[in-house]
Amino acid sequence: MIHWMFNCKEVAKKVSLSMDAALPIHHRMMITIHLLMCKYCNRFRKQLMILRHAVRLEALSEDDPSPPGSLSKATRERIKKAVRESLP
Amino acid sequence: MSKNPSEMKAQIDNPENWVDEYGDFLYRYALARVKDPSIAEDLVQETFLAALKARRNFEGRSTARTWLIAILKHKIVDYIRKKVREQTSDKVESIFDAAAIDSGDTGFNGSGHWNNPPGKWAVNPTKLYEQKEFIDILYHCLGELPERQAKAFMMREIDGLSTDEICKALGISTTNSWVIVYRARILLRQCLEIKWLGTENYTAFKK
Repeated sequence: MIHWMFNCKEVAKKVSLSMDAALPIHHRMMITIHLLMCKYCNRFRKQLMILRHAVRLEALSEDDPSPPGSLSKATRERIKKAVRESLP
Repeated sequence: MSKNPSEMKAQIDNPENWVDEYGDFLYRYALARVKDPSIAEDLVQETFLAALKARRNFEGRSTARTWLIAILKHKIVDYIRKKVREQTSDKVESIFDAAAIDSGDTGFNGSGHWNNPPGKWAVNPTKLYEQKEFIDILYHCLGELPERQAKAFMMREIDGLSTDEICKALGISTTNSWVIVYRARILLRQCLEIKWLGTENYTAFKK
């Protein structure tokens, strides 16, 4: 039998792969068809994208006052010293 | 405003200035994740030292700030991993232990259906920065991942490295890299669902 439809396990793998590599067009189509019918795999795909965006987030929002704090002068000097000492 | 390459190079060549320019930003970022000021300070120092070692790799691909924060994120996860290991050695097993042993099984039954279908996540992807708890748990889960999986995942998603670069860094094949990153995603997703949605919700979704 010709393998014409992905099951959830295959779709999950391919969805992940599609985030790291270019997939052939027929695989992309098979994924799309499956995602149209399967809310769980759809959620899975969205959640993987959320993971990607969440770890790439650079900082909390600019207007967010928390957490407050800055390096004390002493700490700053300590770190500079460590940096100096490790310079070749 | 973006800085031109020569300005960036001048910055990189003068590491002590990094501390003045990026120290507070890195410190606040670390503090938000690890909560402990002295640990946050240590992580900032480690970040600068690691950046110094690797500064030849920094070729103005990103801004210095982005580059430093990426290094810091690795340090934070390393710290959490160490802490998790200390806690789990005499307490409960990591939720990944079973999964790590049976790494061929990634949560599907014999006919390829989900054993535990993904639950609904009440998180707004455009407002992730507001979801502090979510980000906290995400970092914790990264710390719980098997080290190689966490590394590969972070190289891909935080550092934005290509599969080729990841393979070179970890000494693995292309296919291997895809599989490792896939497993990392599966386990991370699972960990977040358990720890963030809460066990009750999770059980409800099993039905």
